[in-house]
Amino acid sequence: MFVEFIQLTIAGLAVGSIYALVALGFVLIYTSVNVVNFAQGDFAMIGAYFMVSLVLGAHWPWWVALPLAMVLTGAVGALFQLVLYQPVRNRPRNFLPVMIATVGASVFLEQVFLLIYGPVPFQLPGIFKAQSVKIDGVFVYPQYLVIIVVTSVMVTVLNWFLERTKLGKQLQATAQDADTARLMGIRVARMTALIFAISTGLGGLAGILIAPVYTVTAGMGSTIALKAFASAIVGGFGSIKGAIVGGLTIGLVETYGATYISGSYRDAFPFIVLILFLIFRPSGLFGEKVSQKV
Amino acid sequence: MTRAVLKFLPFLIALALIPIFLPGGRLGSYYLTLLILSVSYAVAALGLTILLGYSGQVSLAQAAFFGIGAYAFAVLAAKHDVPFGLSAIAALIITTGFGFLLGLISLRLASHYLALVTIGFQIIVGLVLNNWAIVTGGADGVSNIPRPAYFGIDFSHDHYFYWLSIACLGIASYLVYRLRHSRLGGALLALREDEIAAASNGISLFWTKILAFTASATLGGLGGILYASGSMYISPNVFDFNQSVSFFAMTLVGGQESIVGTTLGAALITFLPEVLRFLHAYYIAVYGALVVIVILFMPQGLYGMLLRGIDALRHMVFRSPAEGAAVPVAAQRQHSLKRPVATNDPILQITGLRKHFGGIKAVDGVDFTICRGDIAVLIGPNGSGKTTALNVLSGVYTATAGSISFNGTDITNRRPAEINRLGITRTFQNIRLFPELTALENVVIGYYPKGTVGLLGTLFARRRGFIEDREAAARARETLRLLGFSRFDIKAKNLPYGQQRVVEIARAIVSGPELLLLDEPAAGMNREETAALSEILYRIHDLGLTILLIEHDMSFVASVATRAYVMDFGQKISEGTVAQVLSDQKVIKAYLGDDAEYA
Amino acid sequence: MTIKIQTGLVSAAVFAATLGIATAQAAKTIDIGLIADLTGPAALSGKHKVDGAKLAVNEINAKGGINGKKIKLFVEDDQGKNQAGVSAYEKLASNQNIIAIIGSVRSTIVNATLPYVARDKIPTMIGGTDPMLTHVGNQWVFRFRPNDTYASRAMAGYAVDSMGAKKVAILYDTDAFGSAGNQLLKTAFAKDKTPVVSDQGYTTATRDYTSFLEKIKSSGANLLATYMTNSEDEAQMLKQLRQLGLKIEIMGSPSIATAVCLQLAGSAVNGTYGVSDFVANGNPQAQAFTAKYTAAYHSDPDLFGGWVYDAINVLSQVIAKDGTSGPAIQKGIRAVKGYKGVEGVYNFDDKGDGLHGYSVVKITGGKVQLIKYDDFTK
Repeated sequence: MFVEFIQLTIAGLAVGSIYALVALGFVLIYTSVNVVNFAQGDFAMIGAYFMVSLVLGAHWPWWVALPLAMVLTGAVGALFQLVLYQPVRNRPRNFLPVMIATVGASVFLEQVFLLIYGPVPFQLPGIFKAQSVKIDGVFVYPQYLVIIVVTSVMVTVLNWFLERTKLGKQLQATAQDADTARLMGIRVARMTALIFAISTGLGGLAGILIAPVYTVTAGMGSTIALKAFASAIVGGFGSIKGAIVGGLTIGLVETYGATYISGSYRDAFPFIVLILFLIFRPSGLFGEKVSQKV
Repeated sequence: MTRAVLKFLPFLIALALIPIFLPGGRLGSYYLTLLILSVSYAVAALGLTILLGYSGQVSLAQAAFFGIGAYAFAVLAAKHDVPFGLSAIAALIITTGFGFLLGLISLRLASHYLALVTIGFQIIVGLVLNNWAIVTGGADGVSNIPRPAYFGIDFSHDHYFYWLSIACLGIASYLVYRLRHSRLGGALLALREDEIAAASNGISLFWTKILAFTASATLGGLGGILYASGSMYISPNVFDFNQSVSFFAMTLVGGQESIVGTTLGAALITFLPEVLRFLHAYYIAVYGALVVIVILFMPQGLYGMLLRGIDALRHMVFRSPAEGAAVPVAAQRQHSLKRPVATNDPILQITGLRKHFGGIKAVDGVDFTICRGDIAVLIGPNGSGKTTALNVLSGVYTATAGSISFNGTDITNRRPAEINRLGITRTFQNIRLFPELTALENVVIGYYPKGTVGLLGTLFARRRGFIEDREAAARARETLRLLGFSRFDIKAKNLPYGQQRVVEIARAIVSGPELLLLDEPAAGMNREETAALSEILYRIHDLGLTILLIEHDMSFVASVATRAYVMDFGQKISEGTVAQVLSDQKVIKAYLGDDAEYA
Repeated sequence: MTIKIQTGLVSAAVFAATLGIATAQAAKTIDIGLIADLTGPAALSGKHKVDGAKLAVNEINAKGGINGKKIKLFVEDDQGKNQAGVSAYEKLASNQNIIAIIGSVRSTIVNATLPYVARDKIPTMIGGTDPMLTHVGNQWVFRFRPNDTYASRAMAGYAVDSMGAKKVAILYDTDAFGSAGNQLLKTAFAKDKTPVVSDQGYTTATRDYTSFLEKIKSSGANLLATYMTNSEDEAQMLKQLRQLGLKIEIMGSPSIATAVCLQLAGSAVNGTYGVSDFVANGNPQAQAFTAKYTAAYHSDPDLFGGWVYDAINVLSQVIAKDGTSGPAIQKGIRAVKGYKGVEGVYNFDDKGDGLHGYSVVKITGGKVQLIKYDDFTK
């Protein structure tokens, strides 16, 4: 029983880390340009597919391929914002149109990658060759541990970058008040592109990490996206800390719910939790107050 | 009634005639199947026209309502042999109930939060439909869904069923149109444009949102019933998130607010994949790209562009005069206005009012009394708590302590809409007009609380509703003219700042309130506009209104106010006539600091 | 008001304009329709369908076609969805020259199209295995795969008789295929007096099976019977099962023995058993088909290509003998007995079912080995 619980917790944390990474990307984009990016999950797919090309196609080792795939994904993200955000960034009340446009973009991206890579799912090898390791009666899948560790490292690096480097501070400034940042000499358009690149790169990393576990298909992103979105809200939509905690929470809720309550309704649990939060505590665990200035 | 019918009849007739032009045989039936499908989608998409287009609520759950309607109907009619009509009515009621539920859940949420709740609702409904096999038949779906049989017509012939669907679409369109052009429609639009302003004009946000959600659910359910009976088989995988996105796309093609546009959008989204079949696997990508392009670069939708194109053509051909460049009519002096003098009859009593935001004590123990006929002014340095006090007064904030009494009734902590109905209206420091509505429409919404015709009355086109609407429009025009404004049909967002303020004031007084609260009405105005504003205040006062305003412009204040109160750091530090408070040492110190010495 | 009239008429005109598709063409070819998932979650199976069909068509045309007329294949995308499936079917049906249509393997799509099949009276060949599909009185439907009652009996029978199943756990996809299969399995195991101690359904495309596997582990079952629709899901589950160190016998529905499953699961699938209607080296016809398929497409065939290959061949035989009219084809297919196809020997009954047995297979060393063929023809 206890062993089972440990195994479930590890699985829940691993899947939660993936949601956290994607949610992190959401939150970064939202806080900086007030855009809700429904295509965020698809960047996980894009990252995974780039990894497939680099590892299975070009046979590069994973420690070269992984950062390169992330960078490439970020490049696609920068292009994405050029098309979907820049043309309308000064239009008043552009919030809704851009949000819906990202839904359309999500459909488009999935189809394009389906056409490029075909319908056959790809199997990326895990970073460690071993299938599973037995520790104290608990079977641990190494890739799950890799996911948890890499996510923690990534979050720490990101935090250091934002808080301790000049570029990071400039990013924060742009996010908080683009107009003033512009007056301070910060190139806002470049910052926006960088923000999108980082956020989508994080999403790509999520896809790369989970690919050995899930297999790579064109549809893999959309299943992640909605739950990541729910994670961001549960954690508190403007908060980076919230995205992480929210993601882990949702991952655990999903796994425990599927085991202890009902397997067939597995996908419902994150949303039930989401709806409960939205009714009773819309600001989430750490997040912005959901109110208006008069 | 007749105007609405005349507007849509040609369009509906055109739709109804289509089957006659179809080729016979299997090719014709292919197209007819698609047409029937389009009509059922169109009816459901009209629900989004109300919810998204009119009310501005982002909902991605329309497929859930479509599915609940389809399933409730199919399960009753096919699995339990309940007669067609009864099943349909029961299905509509059930779906409406779910709409009410979603409305309740979503009450305090907006934009992306709302979108996500609706997505969650959608996914949960989809899972339930699939897994609750005892009731829904589970993943197998429901087969042998019957077609109706009335008046001896066998609707299993697709032609007849198509015409029945068109009839349903016609009725639905008419109801949506009636709703839009009624007082309730104005409330929906106000909800979309500015919730706070809407509430301050007497609109109950609760009931208006509920109305929006339930109406959209009912239409979604009706579409679902048409779909179920039309396809004769349903299974859960049809009613998923992607279908909700489709409905969204259908409304967008029409530019969100247009009934005809939505119908055309439904047809386009249904036929497009068929037309693009030659692209084989590429057409979904094309569809996705189209959504992006239309929504980003054609905010009026494809239909909106079509209309503008036709309009431009007409202007080129017929050279109609340019619109609305009317010069504002100077305010007419009806008789010489007397300088306002207050009575001694108290109308508003504020006792010990406190409003704390955590550690910040914005208002910290304020008492004053305003008498009927006063033009009272509240002045004080920035950050002294004036606007906060006003906000508590009008119900936008709740008081931390203290009480407010109006005409003897305790109004502390009542909702803005309630306070409005008791006879207190207001304007805002940052003008809160409904930007996409015309000046006249804005002011008509101010008359909302005076209306009495409810939902049923609107839908059944009660005569009283039309009478009230005409009255509202007349009063609105009268009020605007009184304030020297006549550019009725210009959208509020296109008016210059000074005129926006005038319209906002008109909206606040059209319902004949007793007390008017003005938050910095002269802000941002030049000398001429300020002088005109003084005249307006005299004029309003002449009608019998009591006014409380916050202001900074001292000469303006001096010319209108009968009584002044000064606030600093959340407390009242002085009161009296304007001359009195301006020479009060405490007031001078508050504005200028300790070191100042002024005569 | 005039704008509304104008737009109304323009719209009607646009509709009318798009309706000018050519219908009349001299019947120089034999036109057969095929609906397949070219897009959607099962796009891979759709590709295999089309490949199998094209293989059959090219072969027959190379030999001169049917009575001198070449076969022309018309393919439409059903996107894996009901509505698209119906309009794909209708689009094909709208072409008056199409004399037969190869339908879907998805029972829900087949169900959705049934009313139209009955109305249009076009002989339709299906691969969906929901038993009900041929038992609703539709005379125009012919099934070219054995239905699920046979699968479940074969699975349960072998599990109890030869695998020593004492307590059984079932894992099934909650879609139509899996749910129906689950019910049939439970019935079959009940008949064999073997208790089902764990019965779990998952939503299609679930990626994490840990929770299900934990429950199976603690249920004490010594056999896991799976009814999983997608090979991807099957492979996923098997890998995680091995990672959790679960020691249990496995008997799976056909998706376990597909090339996709073998490829994705790697070593995790070794040692499992399954039932399959298509076995690459199960009979001479399958072997020949596999050789030709691999040569043409450089990938392994599976049941998705196999049944379509058979369907086109049976159809051509019937047309060659009885002509192209609907009723003739209908009668002709019904009369087919003893046709040796890739999927087995076809004997059509009065319901339109052509196959009545399943192969039991074992997967070892990444290869599917035929163990025996369970024939349920009474």
